[in-house]
Amino acid sequence: MPALMRLAVVLFATGLATAALAASADGFKAAYAKAEAAENQAGALKNQWTTTEAELKAAKKAADAGNFNDAIKHAQQAEALANASIAQAKEQATAWKNAVVR
Amino acid sequence: MRRAVSLALALFCLAAPPASAADTVNPKADFKAFRDYFTKRFPNVPLNDFVNGPYSMDAELRKQWVEIDAFPPYQFALDKGKQMFDTPFPNGKTYGDCFPNKGIGIRQNYPFFDAKSGEVITLDVALNQCRQANGEEPFDYTKDDMAALTAYMAYTSRGKLFDIKIPNDRRALAAYQKGEEYFYTRRGQLNFSCASCHVQSPGDHIRTEVLAPALGIVAALPIYRSEWGGMGTTSRRLITCNSQVRGVPLKPEDELYRDVEYYLSYMSNGLPISGPGARP
Amino acid sequence: MQGGRKSAGLKSARMWAIIAGVVLSAVPVAGAAIAQPTAVQASMPGEALAFDRSKGNCLTCHEIKGGDAPGNVGPPLADMKSRYLDRKELAAIIFDETKRNPLTVMPPFGRNLILTKQEIEQVIDFLYTR
Repeated sequence: MPALMRLAVVLFATGLATAALAASADGFKAAYAKAEAAENQAGALKNQWTTTEAELKAAKKAADAGNFNDAIKHAQQAEALANASIAQAKEQATAWKNAVVR
Repeated sequence: MRRAVSLALALFCLAAPPASAADTVNPKADFKAFRDYFTKRFPNVPLNDFVNGPYSMDAELRKQWVEIDAFPPYQFALDKGKQMFDTPFPNGKTYGDCFPNKGIGIRQNYPFFDAKSGEVITLDVALNQCRQANGEEPFDYTKDDMAALTAYMAYTSRGKLFDIKIPNDRRALAAYQKGEEYFYTRRGQLNFSCASCHVQSPGDHIRTEVLAPALGIVAALPIYRSEWGGMGTTSRRLITCNSQVRGVPLKPEDELYRDVEYYLSYMSNGLPISGPGARP
Repeated sequence: MQGGRKSAGLKSARMWAIIAGVVLSAVPVAGAAIAQPTAVQASMPGEALAFDRSKGNCLTCHEIKGGDAPGNVGPPLADMKSRYLDRKELAAIIFDETKRNPLTVMPPFGRNLILTKQEIEQVIDFLYTR
């Protein structure tokens, strides 16, 4: 393989890898933003979960290590947990009354 | 015709009780229902024993309590608290100068509703207000210094009956109601409210631990906990509860924490202060 | 919880009749089948989930054969196969018992993502050995 062609292949591969990296970094950013927004909403309802916070931290840590697939998974789990805590707060806004000793 | 309908509607609205009737705050009725619930559920527990929490639940546990109380694990905190309480600030004033009756035998009147700020003031908050009024930094609400001071003040009030007042002030009633709501609202990933354990399951075991009844639960604070290997304030207790159900806790002495202490202390009116307490 | 216990009683009677039939007709086979689970139990993933504090943590509130220092907020988890002939019923209780009994203190393990659906199935596999 002529040197020029080899160089072209290497450059092309590097380009692909960078693109993939950028895509997953962007994917992580998007997933994390969604999770954070949901967690902020739970915070406004004074009903955040410690497990959501742990997943957010794990997501950041994985992203910092360049592990974007893991990071996205953690961010998605954080979003799911935050949404469950929001649902709980909304349901309890009225349901708490049923538990009051009368 | 339309006028007749709207007239009928207006009359109906006048005659019908306000829509919020069921939601009307009635601390006196709540108090009676709350006490009746516990005394009926535990007919063999003398009323004044509820302040000993899990140790009130049966004869065997009561025996354990007597044994523990012979060599109280909170003694070090009492000694430290008394020394702190008696030591003047650099300006020559003492904690006692900030409180009625020089701060002795007054624990049963806290928390109270402060008309000036429109908020509930707990003993812990009053102590930090006292420190700041005398040019001192406030103590951490969850740590040993605050626990020692409140332990000593509770000790000088032992046997005095909770006497929490809810003045006829819209804001006081709102604080009470917010406290009640917080107490009964399920939270955290495990979906527990304070009431899940301390109203619905008192006396039951979680693993080897016996759940304390909510009636009188605040009378023993602050407490020494073997699990903590030290003393804990009311804030520490509430924060631990939140974390155990996997909820992010509020800040120590957050308005809602003070409201829930207000609600629970009112529910314990007439019960004797037993703090500082000891728990597993 | 109360409603569940009542129907479980009826079901368990029916189940015992079935078991009796099996035991009478095939004693050696049944004997082997009873001996087997004890050997398998230790390696069941559901056992770890049921006993682990950060996961299922069933022991905190329920007595389970083989578990140390159980709580008693909920009923003992024994005779599970006869009490819950319908696996789906048990799965539904673990997923979200508040649906059936709004005031239960049992955490909604599925709804609140404490356990995955697969983990719930593993816990059931384990509970069916108790």
